[in-house]
Amino acid sequence: MVILDKLKSTIKGDLEVIDSEPDLLVIKIKNKKLIKKLAWQIKEEFDILYSLAVVDYSPDFELNYIFSNYKNAEILILKVNITEKDFAIDSITDIFNSANWEEREAYDLFGIKFNGHPDLRRILLPEDWPGHPLRKDFKVDDEIRNWTGLDLKF
Amino acid sequence: MEESNEFSYPGLYEVIFMKTEKFINTVLNWGRSNSLWPLTFATSCCGIEMMTFGATKIDSDRFGVLFTGDSPRQSDLILVSGTITKKMARRLLNVYEQMPDPKYVIAIGACNVSGGLYHDSYNTIEGIDRIIPVDVFVPGCPPKPEEFLDAVKVLQKLIKENRSKAQKNGNIGQA
Repeated sequence: MVILDKLKSTIKGDLEVIDSEPDLLVIKIKNKKLIKKLAWQIKEEFDILYSLAVVDYSPDFELNYIFSNYKNAEILILKVNITEKDFAIDSITDIFNSANWEEREAYDLFGIKFNGHPDLRRILLPEDWPGHPLRKDFKVDDEIRNWTGLDLKF
Repeated sequence: MEESNEFSYPGLYEVIFMKTEKFINTVLNWGRSNSLWPLTFATSCCGIEMMTFGATKIDSDRFGVLFTGDSPRQSDLILVSGTITKKMARRLLNVYEQMPDPKYVIAIGACNVSGGLYHDSYNTIEGIDRIIPVDVFVPGCPPKPEEFLDAVKVLQKLIKENRSKAQKNGNIGQA
């Protein structure tokens, strides 16, 4: 794809190509601080963010940003690793609007902090829920089992 | 005045009063059991079966279960059909509290009986009898519309025999 050369020139060798096919490109970056700069570059070719998937390889967490475009129906998957020690990444909501709810979901179920997000609240679970349920170290214990949320004052 | 342990027959007025009260209660229960207006609280697939329950083939109108406009203020039966998540529990209780006494609850589907498919999950209420008193449970995933009809018949029998949860707890409202 044309965009590969552009991205490579932007971040200068810090980019690993995992899979490259005519209409599919899977790349991985090591430095998570580059995500915002890279998103601006991607915005020129790819106009939608389909999805943001998070995989738990404890203690590392892998974020998969899946982009696509209407023009050629190509798909670009961008992988970023973050560690549990520094559990935050820059938000790309101001570049791709659909990242808003995707990032809220990732925050809800995994607890990842997105710096610069306009409205980082839980999206699926109740606001005062204890814990982040899709993480591998989450256990359903009696506190979770008996939690009905009805002690909240309306 | 001496206390006596002797049995004394009730007087004429007491007998008339008791008979009248019993008669009035019977008439009230007959009226209540035959005009159950449901509030449909459908959250998932059991709600689809509930639509069939109200439609022409099963026709709940025959037993006075009339699907009029959904307002908790004018209904006395809540059909909870579908999974109740922990986020939904507050909303369910909020709706339930708005209904006037006496109110009856039918819990439909395996999720409302014990958690069903989502038993021991992190975000499901395992049986809604943890939050509100339930008169009739209908198991099944989802149950057939005929079973809804059976549940209504059972509830009508309970009301006529003064055995529903609302009557047991004394929440019968003003006659």
